[in-house]
Amino acid sequence: MSPATEKLTRLIAAEDRFDHSHAELRETQLEALDERFQERKDRIKLLGHRAREAGTTEIRSREDMVPLLFPHTVYKSYPESFLIEERWDRLGKWLGTVSPHPISPVETSNITDIDDWIERLAAKGHYVSCSSGTTGKSAMLLASEQDMEWSRTDTVNVFSWGSGVRPERDRRMMGLAPTAAVPKNLVIGAAQQAAFGDPARERFRLPIPAITVGSLTKMIVLRKKIADGTALPGELAEFDRTSTARQEALDKAMIAGAEALIRYRHEKLYISGLWNALYQVAKIVRDMGYSAKDFHPDNCIYVGGGLKRAQLPPDYQEFVHQTFNIPANRDFQNYSMQELNSGMPKCQKGGRYHVPPWIVPFILDEQGQTLLPHETGEVEGRAAFYDLSLDGRWGGIITGDKISLDFSPCACGCKGASVRNNIVRYADLQGDDKIGCAGTIDAYVRGLS
Amino acid sequence: MSAVNTELKPADAVVSAPFFLRGELVEGQDALHRSRDLGVTFATPRIDLDRAVHPRTEVPPLLNVPLAEIIDFLVETGERLRDPGNPFVEECIDRMAATHVLPRAVLEGQVKGAATYLDKRLLYTVVEQNFPDPKALDEWVLKQDFTGRKSFVRAFAPRLVHVLPGNSPGVAVKSIAQGAMVKAVNLFKMSSSDPFTTVAVLRTMADIDPGHAIVKSMSAVYWRGGDDAVERALYRPQYFDKIVAWGGGDAISNVTKYLGPGFQLVSFDPKTSISMVGREAVMSDEALDLAAGLAAADVMVLNQEACVASRFIFVEADQRDADRFCERLHARITEKAAGSGDARPLDLDLREQIDTLVMLDDEFRVWGKTDGKGLVIRSDEPVDFHPINKTANVVRVDSLDDAIRYVNVATQTVGFYPHQRMPDYRDRLASCGAQRIVRLGEAGPSTIGNPHDAMYPLHRFVHWMAHEDGVVLGGGD
Repeated sequence: MSPATEKLTRLIAAEDRFDHSHAELRETQLEALDERFQERKDRIKLLGHRAREAGTTEIRSREDMVPLLFPHTVYKSYPESFLIEERWDRLGKWLGTVSPHPISPVETSNITDIDDWIERLAAKGHYVSCSSGTTGKSAMLLASEQDMEWSRTDTVNVFSWGSGVRPERDRRMMGLAPTAAVPKNLVIGAAQQAAFGDPARERFRLPIPAITVGSLTKMIVLRKKIADGTALPGELAEFDRTSTARQEALDKAMIAGAEALIRYRHEKLYISGLWNALYQVAKIVRDMGYSAKDFHPDNCIYVGGGLKRAQLPPDYQEFVHQTFNIPANRDFQNYSMQELNSGMPKCQKGGRYHVPPWIVPFILDEQGQTLLPHETGEVEGRAAFYDLSLDGRWGGIITGDKISLDFSPCACGCKGASVRNNIVRYADLQGDDKIGCAGTIDAYVRGLS
Repeated sequence: MSAVNTELKPADAVVSAPFFLRGELVEGQDALHRSRDLGVTFATPRIDLDRAVHPRTEVPPLLNVPLAEIIDFLVETGERLRDPGNPFVEECIDRMAATHVLPRAVLEGQVKGAATYLDKRLLYTVVEQNFPDPKALDEWVLKQDFTGRKSFVRAFAPRLVHVLPGNSPGVAVKSIAQGAMVKAVNLFKMSSSDPFTTVAVLRTMADIDPGHAIVKSMSAVYWRGGDDAVERALYRPQYFDKIVAWGGGDAISNVTKYLGPGFQLVSFDPKTSISMVGREAVMSDEALDLAAGLAAADVMVLNQEACVASRFIFVEADQRDADRFCERLHARITEKAAGSGDARPLDLDLREQIDTLVMLDDEFRVWGKTDGKGLVIRSDEPVDFHPINKTANVVRVDSLDDAIRYVNVATQTVGFYPHQRMPDYRDRLASCGAQRIVRLGEAGPSTIGNPHDAMYPLHRFVHWMAHEDGVVLGGGD
């Protein structure tokens, strides 16, 4: 790794890593951006293309980086037919356009499904994590062994910093998240377990089969068939039956989760999940007659992801915290996304998300094309980041989020850049109501989620 | 610098968009709205909901105005719209240029061009094609069946809400004319990308005769589509018979929740248009040039903002010939694009997807760049995304028969070359869901009064009313 990048990523475990001001980091970050660009421009095809189009040969200012940041949608830019028709060699070729490392050829003739393909790639050191897109395509994010290693360390540091919980392997792990079994999630889960879980106490998992990429893909395939007009009613009815059965299994698992929480209520717990599931389980626990007073006073909670469009009452967070007796100073929140390899934990005192030195934040205009002037104070706009820790793909990403980034010191005392706790997705903002007569078949596909 | 939580930036120029309520102009700056296309803010008055509806106890003002008089009024409106000195139109174009994706000259052409719809012969033809007996609009028409039972039938004046689209200002003129010809009480809900044209046309009409029943039958307002506070109050059968809505997705799903007995939807659905180019086109250089030029014309209708504009072009050829076609098509599209002065860059994620195809160059080929100046992509099946902003996807097929499976319920117009092959395909195209088949290069024009969106709209608009009048003795035979 090159000197400036190395200097910044070396801070991964530094206690004071969030205490470096923007002014202090600016020059080193700029050097590191150029290092990354020089190393990658001839190795990532898409980056090379972007650089040629923009006429960029070196990064001398943060502006120079803007045309080279990839929109988050780039990781779903593969032609869908490659996935639907199971053309693994083609998908491999597509991965090659966004990968800095040559994709080692895998035997594709006898691949059974996408899970099998992902497994074979992992055996060669290419870790593909798919996001569960609510509609349409899922993103395929490629990572290297080095990225997996980074995640293992970063996830523990982020949780520990944000929640104040020391990694002392003294808790029972309670996993309440029906999450997708993709490499990144698996690595994070295992690392948290190793750091915080008591090896003598078995981890609780929801008694449901793992959500695989294959099962997510089935839905995408069916959606395409509906749009094409080739899906028959019987197939849709069958899909509905499967969905209902899956939902019933999930509902039962939630009860099992609530029962397990009650069973272990006197133990020190590490509860993890997504808000929606945590809220449901908390409700069941309350209905069964248990609440804060019954739980250990030093519990902690790790929540991943946003609401994912779940409709919950406004006080859902308090409700969950109060049910499981989570101390007020253990309110852990983390701002991150599949596209990044590092987290930005929220501090207890200032209530802001802190950007580590190896993530270079950019605030762009809403269109994601122009860098907004920003040297001091707080600026609002579209978030973009360059994660210098990333090895297996390009670290520059333009997100779908609207954030307010502040270069002033936070109330918690940290001098580094921080993000206000009012992040929204542009897609969820009330859009305008432009309608036109031109449109696609998507408007004719009903109810599939 | 702190600009947190200010959705509407005061730095933006605020353009004012007045309303028109049953003959009267309503001005005001009570509410600010945003047109997301260009990030421009516009100000409107508060909507006086009570004035937007016409009481059921009063018959519609146009009911007993003869169709001939209505058409004369519309024709005069057309003349005034084309008049270069019309202050309402000038002002409207000024304002629109600030909020619209299309360039000023295109908009000007559209507003003036839309006025050509207000032609006497044209309007009569539209009515005659929509109604077997247009007299039913003016009077109770006598009917008698073979049993001798007799009645009067009237194409009674309906109460209509029109949810207008924003991508084609011409629709405003057409909707006003159609609403007038069926003698409806009309409420036009304007779009954020054009909250001006409808009011400009109505002001032009009020300038002719402010007291005319036609003017008293028209209202045009803006609210953000899906705004429950307005829609829950207005979208009721007590106030309106039908909602005439353009578009799909959220625009329609917001509307459908209000449908029920007495409140029906007449929908103009979102559509994709395509072209089919037979192997005849690659048989000679002349034919190739001709077909590429015609296809480019269809792609570039309203700079590809309209539903009739072609997006996928199925070409019956081998890869080499398909590439020859693509090259010429690209040249013709860029010519037209340059001529229009419109070079909006492609949206980021569309750019990204196209750039990816550039990388996968053994299966896709791309002519042009993602700079908004015209682009052609050749592939073996249609691309996943919706080609827009001067982007054509040429899909190579061995036979046009293979292209049929890509026609679906969202397909509107199919441009065909050579036209002699159209009869072989029209049944299959209709069966798959397509609505029009045209000669390549003629996606725009249609025979006056022809069905739109698989229906005769005016016939659907009216409130068909029967007055049963007993049996004529000895009338049966």
